[in-house]
Amino acid sequence: MITTPENKNKRSSINSNNPMPKYIRRSILALSIDDPILEKKSFDSWADAIILDFSKKSHCNWQQDILSRMPSAIAIAAKGDAEIFIRINNDFAISELEATVFPGIAGIILKGAHSAADIQRVSSALDSLELSRGILANSIEIDIEVNNAACTWNLLEIARSSARVGIFLLNEQELCANLGIQTQASLPFDPLEYIKSELITVATSIGGQAVGMSYPLSLATDSIDAETLRKGILRARDTGFKGAVCPHPDWINLCNSGFRPSEEEANYYVKVIEVFAEGIKRGMASVPIDGKMIDVPVDLRAKVYLEWAKRAKARDTEKYQAHQKP
Amino acid sequence: MNNRVSRVSMFVTPTNPRFIDKAWTRGGDAYILDIEDSIAPAEKQRCRTLIRESIDKANKGGASIYVRINKPFVDADLPYAVWRGVDRIMLPKTETAEEMQHAHQIITALEKERGIPPGSIELYPMIETTLGAVNIHQILTAVDRKIWSMGGGGGYDMAVNLGIEMFADFDQYAYPIAYITLASMALDIESTGGVFIPNTSGRVDQSDQAILQAAALHRAGIHHSGALHPAFIEPLVKGLTPTTEEIEWAKAVIQKFDEISSVGESIGTLEGKIVDIYEYQKAKVTLDWALECAEKDCFKENALKRASS
Repeated sequence: MITTPENKNKRSSINSNNPMPKYIRRSILALSIDDPILEKKSFDSWADAIILDFSKKSHCNWQQDILSRMPSAIAIAAKGDAEIFIRINNDFAISELEATVFPGIAGIILKGAHSAADIQRVSSALDSLELSRGILANSIEIDIEVNNAACTWNLLEIARSSARVGIFLLNEQELCANLGIQTQASLPFDPLEYIKSELITVATSIGGQAVGMSYPLSLATDSIDAETLRKGILRARDTGFKGAVCPHPDWINLCNSGFRPSEEEANYYVKVIEVFAEGIKRGMASVPIDGKMIDVPVDLRAKVYLEWAKRAKARDTEKYQAHQKP
Repeated sequence: MNNRVSRVSMFVTPTNPRFIDKAWTRGGDAYILDIEDSIAPAEKQRCRTLIRESIDKANKGGASIYVRINKPFVDADLPYAVWRGVDRIMLPKTETAEEMQHAHQIITALEKERGIPPGSIELYPMIETTLGAVNIHQILTAVDRKIWSMGGGGGYDMAVNLGIEMFADFDQYAYPIAYITLASMALDIESTGGVFIPNTSGRVDQSDQAILQAAALHRAGIHHSGALHPAFIEPLVKGLTPTTEEIEWAKAVIQKFDEISSVGESIGTLEGKIVDIYEYQKAKVTLDWALECAEKDCFKENALKRASS
């Protein structure tokens, strides 16, 4: 049996008291397998994850075409140690899965799903493909690209429809269009604030996580000045997003450093853990630091944050090592 | 006594005489005898044994008494928490209907064993995780017992679950707060409120923060709130009680609506503002709530006099 390459971010054993984040996928970059410099773009991006898109050529059998090219595209896109995902259109899911699912992918991004039945249908197809293509059973994730009202409405059922469901990615442009909301970021408030919070809540409730960006950067399609982006990422992180789909390679470095605890936070939480442990020794249940109450959940969060920082650092090391290979 | 009026319920630690002995003088509507996070692990068992005697200490000023138990120790905590004089049991980090049913069964047995009117102790599922939030409807309908809901849906534990830094200057809990509150309202279950108020300092002892909190809750029509520090008590009690002006306005609206109704009209105006069935019903809620607050305040005042004499 051929298995997928070691998946650095596969489902961890983190329990309900220490659930965050399941995956280190701070930066996700979408690239086309038709791109003549796919290898260079993937390698140079330093993205944690890459979504491979493909186009269907009209002058030939598109399935045969993709089947013949996808395995090598997966291999070259993974050279920088990014996790590889294939974006699948829900309307043509079964035929697209047959053409794209090969060893080496961490999951598929299902775009345009409307209901739990869509996910169950895809999951069944993956069962067969995993078996027939020598891929470890149940190893391929189904990640949900949320881009329509029905998907949003049925989110909890979708999340609970398969153990394969991992992350939720908010496609804000398409969801706004579907909801009849203007897609230019000109409103003085975030029109999707509630939906974003729902996405994060539902994803977290099943042990998964959500990927998205704060408004108005969530509707940006290009490069953004670093300071604005840094602030936007911090807000997205503190809303509960654990990464973003980067519309421009310039975003990746800042997403990698922003969707994780900062050095300053890590240092503060080391202090929190030390002071709280001292308090416990003295028979106290809470201790103050600078007027803030430090008790069990704050101590727990400190531990979660430090673990998160450690895992993010380990992920950076893995990518660095991959980039040193000849 | 009116247990419904819980404009501010404050946590107190039964193991600390400085807190438990003085609680009754603070003026809270309710005190939460805590066995959970404000009690160190080594003190849990001693705390359990102090709950029964703490009830009469904390309620001397006419306050209601709640007990917060530990999620991992429901079976161990409840026999020390269910006593005559306890109005509510708080179940932290409730996530499923089964957890509610389990606690309900134990409380029911203890009520019977201890001569407490069956079903008289309320159950308060504290929703502090995303799983609890998405399961809220099942949780609130899980048992045949009076339920009090947690409209907050945020807080320290939710922040851990979401993996977020608290005390941002924007609402980090838009969905859980709204969803839990909506489920509670749909089921006609009262809730202790959650409205986003920025608190970037993270301090829990600032009365000016309590004033802002009370004003926001009051505007949202939420009557009940919690506190971690005595500095919050007076602002919340005052801020969540209808003012004299609000009471007078409510009376005038009711009078006006009665007048227009008597001549077959459904909409009128008062000082340039529309008076209709919606405003009439809102005014009735204000007056009912004002009356309940007055009863509670009178009860507390008399209890305080008796305890002080």
